[in-house]
Amino acid sequence: MPKVYSGSELLLESLSRQHVEVLFGLPGGAVLPLYDALYSAGIRHLLVRHEQAAAFAADGYARVTGKPGVCLGTSGPGATNLITGLTSAMMDSIPVVALTGQVPASLIGKDGFQEADTIGISLPSTKQSFLVRSAAEVPRVIEKAFKAAVSGRPGPVLVDLPKNVLMENTEYSYPASTAPATPARVREWTDADVERAAEMILASRRAVLYAGGGVIAADASEELRELAGLMHIPVTSTLMGLGCFPSRHPLSLGMLGMHGSYATNMAVCQCDLLIAVGARFDDRVTGRLDGFAPSAKKIHLDVDPSEVNKNVRVDLALVGDAKESLRALVAALKRRNATPAAESQQWLQRIESWRSEHPLTYDKYANNVKPQFVIETLSQYASEDAIVAVDVGQHQMWGAQFWNFTRPRAWLSSSGLGSMGYGFPAAMGAQMAFPNRQAIAVVGDGGFQMTLNDLATVVQYRVPVKIAIINNRALGMVRQWQEIFFEKRYCDTDLDFAPDFVKLAEAYGIRGARVEHRTDVADAVQDFLSDREPRLIDFWVDPAENVYPIVPPGATLAEMVVEPPRVMVEEEALDDLWAV
Amino acid sequence: MQWLLTLETDNDMISICRLMNIFRRKSLKINTLTMSARVAGFSLMGVVESAETDIDYLFNFLRRTEGVQHVTCYRHEPFPNASFVFMDSEEDNSCVTRLLEAFPGSKLIFASHGKYLLEIPAEKRRSVAGDRDPAFLPFACVKTTRPAAQREFVEV
Repeated sequence: MPKVYSGSELLLESLSRQHVEVLFGLPGGAVLPLYDALYSAGIRHLLVRHEQAAAFAADGYARVTGKPGVCLGTSGPGATNLITGLTSAMMDSIPVVALTGQVPASLIGKDGFQEADTIGISLPSTKQSFLVRSAAEVPRVIEKAFKAAVSGRPGPVLVDLPKNVLMENTEYSYPASTAPATPARVREWTDADVERAAEMILASRRAVLYAGGGVIAADASEELRELAGLMHIPVTSTLMGLGCFPSRHPLSLGMLGMHGSYATNMAVCQCDLLIAVGARFDDRVTGRLDGFAPSAKKIHLDVDPSEVNKNVRVDLALVGDAKESLRALVAALKRRNATPAAESQQWLQRIESWRSEHPLTYDKYANNVKPQFVIETLSQYASEDAIVAVDVGQHQMWGAQFWNFTRPRAWLSSSGLGSMGYGFPAAMGAQMAFPNRQAIAVVGDGGFQMTLNDLATVVQYRVPVKIAIINNRALGMVRQWQEIFFEKRYCDTDLDFAPDFVKLAEAYGIRGARVEHRTDVADAVQDFLSDREPRLIDFWVDPAENVYPIVPPGATLAEMVVEPPRVMVEEEALDDLWAV
Repeated sequence: MQWLLTLETDNDMISICRLMNIFRRKSLKINTLTMSARVAGFSLMGVVESAETDIDYLFNFLRRTEGVQHVTCYRHEPFPNASFVFMDSEEDNSCVTRLLEAFPGSKLIFASHGKYLLEIPAEKRRSVAGDRDPAFLPFACVKTTRPAAQREFVEV
């Protein structure tokens, strides 16, 4: 039986049918009709203080749940403020649905107040976009938008809603039962392709599994673990893939690439078979391409056919959903009664020797607070199912190197775009998805200052996010590059002028603390994590600490620099030192 | 190397804008391009320059772009390996007559704004007389999202 709905009511009803539980948004003139309908609707809304935070929060929500996160902005500047978050979601293949207000259709293109060409501006930052023309279109568009966001390679979708559409009344009859949009499955490989992949694995002696964000997007961690365990193949993860394989598993190599560990990069350089799953051979991973896994045959499992042979030519591609592809591959190996290569033990021992030669480490006896120690301590005392969201910079790399990952969908990082300001709002979004888990934002002092205004949001809605600032009073990663590659010509990376973050937190109504001594770190972390309130700790860390290893630009992974250059001390100075 | 691309999109300007932006961002060198609108959607045909190593990527990128219904990619091939011929009659109206005389029995695959793509019947491929006419560009179909070769679009 048709019922009369406004466009706004249809929108909210359609969102409910997609099982949307929370919106992250900020109202404005063009979306007033929608907020009026929201007043009596059952969907929760978090009022953010900047639309960029709404987009990052929706992204964080999506990463931890696998469901589309939804953000909402008004027309004009509200929509344009979402663009950074949408671009980050696009780069990392995260399902986000952005709803934007728009001026009435009759005013589009006439430079009205708060009008922007949202569709045009967001084209490169979205997988698909819709401009809704009538209220009656709303349910179909929402269904298409959600389906597009989760199908194939996930990504952000934008729905632009002119104000007249939100206000228009129409008769509509929903089907008796509407299930949320299910993703369209992708499978282009054949059984023969899978058999060939199995043969390549069986013929290898020094294989490495290279796992990216696609393993997590496909919920294929279990299948990856089965393949690795069956054939004793060590597993390395990209920044996006961290968590898809447990850090402390004997076959875990951790992260590869520009700031990957020595052992991992050497393993990739010397493997004879590289099996890439849900990864795209990004430049941060490969280093100079002619030196990337030069002796290895390569198999590429990916849902997006355009990633195959884009950067690195592979010997075999299996285009399809990673879960299904890995399952088929394991089944093919089991049919052949496959066992690990005779040389696998030797290969693993070789990797272990590289690990002993140059472990990921830092000066554990320094008197000042080392950022790596803070990360390790946070990881040690965080609950097993804690979610950690990082911002962008040195702390992000230390997080990737030193956090103990135990499960997928618990690590949030703006990896492809590398957008500062991401960490805190993403943690907020993740916390909204799982109110009973710990959500810890590990942020730099630079990135935190970009989105800290949403401290108001977490207090207003009692979102118990824990914020750990790795404060080196600088734009640390940029400073590191200036030190190493620009002969220490430090230009505009000094953040010495910054607020007292503890006082700032208290001004927002959040309990804060500062830690400046190594001996205070453990107690402070335990206290910080002990309650269900938003909290902030400002860790003053060694500003001179750099991220190692580092693969310099234009270098191969094998040319990584594993430790800082040693400083030569004059003999007389040494004598003076001993005399003290 | 020259390639001919034909695309069909859904009936949405946003899809076309997205495609044009992709062409720009991927630095695609376009020699000729035609676009037409019809009830079901938009059709495009273009002759582009691309390295052979890049065309696979471009084809796959286009075919998985939202809003794109079909993509077909043709490689520039000399006669008699070519099974398709493309002609741009914009500069020279007599081309059409010469085209039909040179390729009798050919099937029209795509026609829009003076640009024509014909499929040459298999039995005629070795005997074509058009290979010396510079207006005729021979192509072979290398990739398509269509399940079977069929007429893609003809503008009335």
